[in-house]
Amino acid sequence: MGAEHAKLRRERWAIGIVAVLVAALTFFEAHLAAVGGAVTFSSNIVIFALINLNVVFVVLLIFLVTRNVFKILLDRRRNLLGAKLRSRLVLIFICFSLIPTMLLFIAATNITTTSIKSWIGGRVGQALTGAIDIARERLEEEARALSPAAESAAAGLLGTVDPASFPRVLESSRSLAPAGTALLFFEKDAEVARDGEVPPAVREEVLTRIKAVNGDGDAKGTLIGDEFAAAWRRTPGGVIVVAVRSLPPAEAARIREITKAYDEYHQVRLLDDPIRASYVGILILITLLIVFSASWMGIYLARQITVPVQLLAEGTEEVARGNLDVSLDYRSRDEFGTLVASFNRMTADLKAMKGNLEETNASLTRTYDELRRRTAFIETILDSISTGVIVIDRHGRIAMINKVAERLLRIRTDGAVGRMYREVLREEHYEAIRSLYREAGEAAGGQVERQVELVVGETRIAFRVSLTALRDDAGEYMGLVAAFDDLSQTMRLQRVLAWREVARRIAHDIRNPLTPIQLSTERMQRKYAAVHAEDPVFAECTEAILSEVNTLKHLVDEFTRFARMPVLRVEEGDLPVEIRTVVETYRTSHPGIHWEFRQEGPPRLWFDPVQIRRAVTNLLDNAAAALGERGSVTVTCTHDESAGRARIDVADDGPGIPLGDRGRLFEPYFSRREGGTGLGLAIVSAIANDHGGTVRMRDNTPRGTVFEMEFPAHPPAMEKTGSMAPVIDDGGREI
Amino acid sequence: MPLGVEVRVLIAFFTLTLLGLPPGSSLAGPPVPGISEISGTIRGGEARVRFTLRNAFTPEMVEALKSGIEISFKITVEVERVYRRWFDRPMGQVRYTRSVRYDALSRVYRLHRDDGDELLADVLAALDRMTRFEVVVPVTGDVEKGKPYRARVRARLDKVGLSEPLRSIFFFSSLWDVETDWARGNLQAP
Repeated sequence: MGAEHAKLRRERWAIGIVAVLVAALTFFEAHLAAVGGAVTFSSNIVIFALINLNVVFVVLLIFLVTRNVFKILLDRRRNLLGAKLRSRLVLIFICFSLIPTMLLFIAATNITTTSIKSWIGGRVGQALTGAIDIARERLEEEARALSPAAESAAAGLLGTVDPASFPRVLESSRSLAPAGTALLFFEKDAEVARDGEVPPAVREEVLTRIKAVNGDGDAKGTLIGDEFAAAWRRTPGGVIVVAVRSLPPAEAARIREITKAYDEYHQVRLLDDPIRASYVGILILITLLIVFSASWMGIYLARQITVPVQLLAEGTEEVARGNLDVSLDYRSRDEFGTLVASFNRMTADLKAMKGNLEETNASLTRTYDELRRRTAFIETILDSISTGVIVIDRHGRIAMINKVAERLLRIRTDGAVGRMYREVLREEHYEAIRSLYREAGEAAGGQVERQVELVVGETRIAFRVSLTALRDDAGEYMGLVAAFDDLSQTMRLQRVLAWREVARRIAHDIRNPLTPIQLSTERMQRKYAAVHAEDPVFAECTEAILSEVNTLKHLVDEFTRFARMPVLRVEEGDLPVEIRTVVETYRTSHPGIHWEFRQEGPPRLWFDPVQIRRAVTNLLDNAAAALGERGSVTVTCTHDESAGRARIDVADDGPGIPLGDRGRLFEPYFSRREGGTGLGLAIVSAIANDHGGTVRMRDNTPRGTVFEMEFPAHPPAMEKTGSMAPVIDDGGREI
Repeated sequence: MPLGVEVRVLIAFFTLTLLGLPPGSSLAGPPVPGISEISGTIRGGEARVRFTLRNAFTPEMVEALKSGIEISFKITVEVERVYRRWFDRPMGQVRYTRSVRYDALSRVYRLHRDDGDELLADVLAALDRMTRFEVVVPVTGDVEKGKPYRARVRARLDKVGLSEPLRSIFFFSSLWDVETDWARGNLQAP
């Protein structure tokens, strides 16, 4: 709206200025044009209007050209798009028009000046003077030929015009006058008599001349005009007799032409400079008109070219910025119009394509999000199960692998997904999968399940591997899924159970004869000690028997204790107090060892205090045995409130446990200690297991061993199912 | 509100154009024409006014006259009753044209007046007749004896009669610009 108002205001300004200009120029010209008088007032107005219109158009043209040239210069200075091209085109047009126009102007000016000079300075003047002299002589001669008739008439009148004698006078004078001669008689500036026909204009002219003659006082004379010749005589009575003869029309016309040419020549000679200036002015006006017209044409054509180019450039820039709503408002039937229309069509197509792409992208994004959500869901499921899963696509690349599989097979490589499984897996593991894959190919349903032992780290672990070949509905092979279950825990538990059965039977079978043996031996000592007092063999043998029976009893007690683990009695208690009590006992019995107890978290937890004390005792006993006389043991009791689990760490700085022994560490009857039954850690493991927890072993830093016992410490109703058996990792990680 | 660039360019353009125009009076001569020696009488329904036109013919105009260019003057004569304490009262007005032209064929100057033509033998006589006027102005109203009456006279170069071709060339330009101011002179009442 603001631009339209400004445009309207500009148009009003222009109309007002043009109107004022027209009025001013009309007044100016009407005031100046005092030349000539043959043109009527209305014709003058029309001519002035037309001329003013031309002048206004010229002024407007000059103004528009000047304005546009200024605008082009300003645009060029501002480095606007297309300004340079426009200014170059305008300059070319001006140069192409200015040079020939200027040459034409100079040539025309020279020719005009030379022509005028040659016309007024040559023989034309002499010829015209001669011509008018000849005409005058001719008329004078004609007038002199009329003198006898005028003289005769004047003599015959005898002073006045007498009606009685007048016919006779005319008769005598007519014979002396050439044919066509008329006699006019004037008295006191008035015609009193006439003989013959004379045109009214000639009569008027003769009368005017006679009036002039009257003032002179002459008696006779001649009169000439461009239409007549006459001779006159004054009578003594004051009557003037004029013998006049009109020239033939052709002759009169020739004399008028000569007179007119003579006048024009002298006027041109007098007005030589103004005429030349006038011609030069007209030439200048025409030159300016050509130059400015060419400039305007140049500006117009340049605009015809640069406007669509500028529009296209701006539109392209907008499109480059991502604005596809741009539509160029330019209508023309030429190639630029086609180009702009194509551009608009292109942006519209691009916009439509962009919309489609965005829609497709949104759909893909939704699909991708859904896929990712599902993948995350599957990964969560896979990560939450205890089975290691590896999905391999048809090209042998790992499509999916869960953390359990990474942990079980110790695949530490990040970004395993997408890589060939041969590169990711160890050679032995790869070969095992290959072998199973071949079997699956032959098996019905493409599925095979085998128990295999694989070396993981330094440990040979038994796995149950289930491998399924994936096929789509068309039966095309898509890949395979390999599931790994760690059987070592199950096997270990089975071994523990077996050992418990063995221990129970051993205890049962050995305990029964031990008491009779002990009682019999003691009876023998009482009865036959006096008999064999001198023979030390009897005493030694019986003592030996009793000693071994006691040893066997102790062993049987241990086995019994292992085989008959009491039923878990979980109650709320102060776990740190229970642990501290055990620690203090060992602090007293092993003064050479530095015992340290640390406590974190709330003391009131749910556990079996008897079993926990026994487990801690076994752990501290092992630590003391490993350290010997010196060393330090740190016992830490912590509680993970969020997980609801209690943890007891027993760390020593002893020599540590060899890697080879770690796999059997918690198995019953495995001990490297002299005199050890190999049941201590098995019992710890059983207690942890009974609590729903685990016991782990790892290396201490910088040396030594750490046993970590962890179990749920909430009320029995909230008890969660935990691992059933201890897990050993040579790197200290739970596996 | 500040003027826009286009308006400023427009104003500058027309200012420069007007400044660049040649002055219209560049061909006018330096003598200042005027009316002098106004006198006359008023009685019986008419006033007879005599006056002289001075400095009306420049040398260029005299040369132009000799070259056959017709020169015409338009005279305006007004008669009014003069009041001291009131507006003057117009009583009559006459517009009078007098022209002169040289006839190269008969070598006379033809003086044209409203009441008829007059032929003059030389240029001096022609100029004398073109500058001395006695004009009769019909007046309305009673002429009171002893009351002041005044004539106002103004002369203006009316036309310069160029030949036909030159007329088209000098259509726009005035060769000479002769115009007197209003001159006043008292008239004698009976």
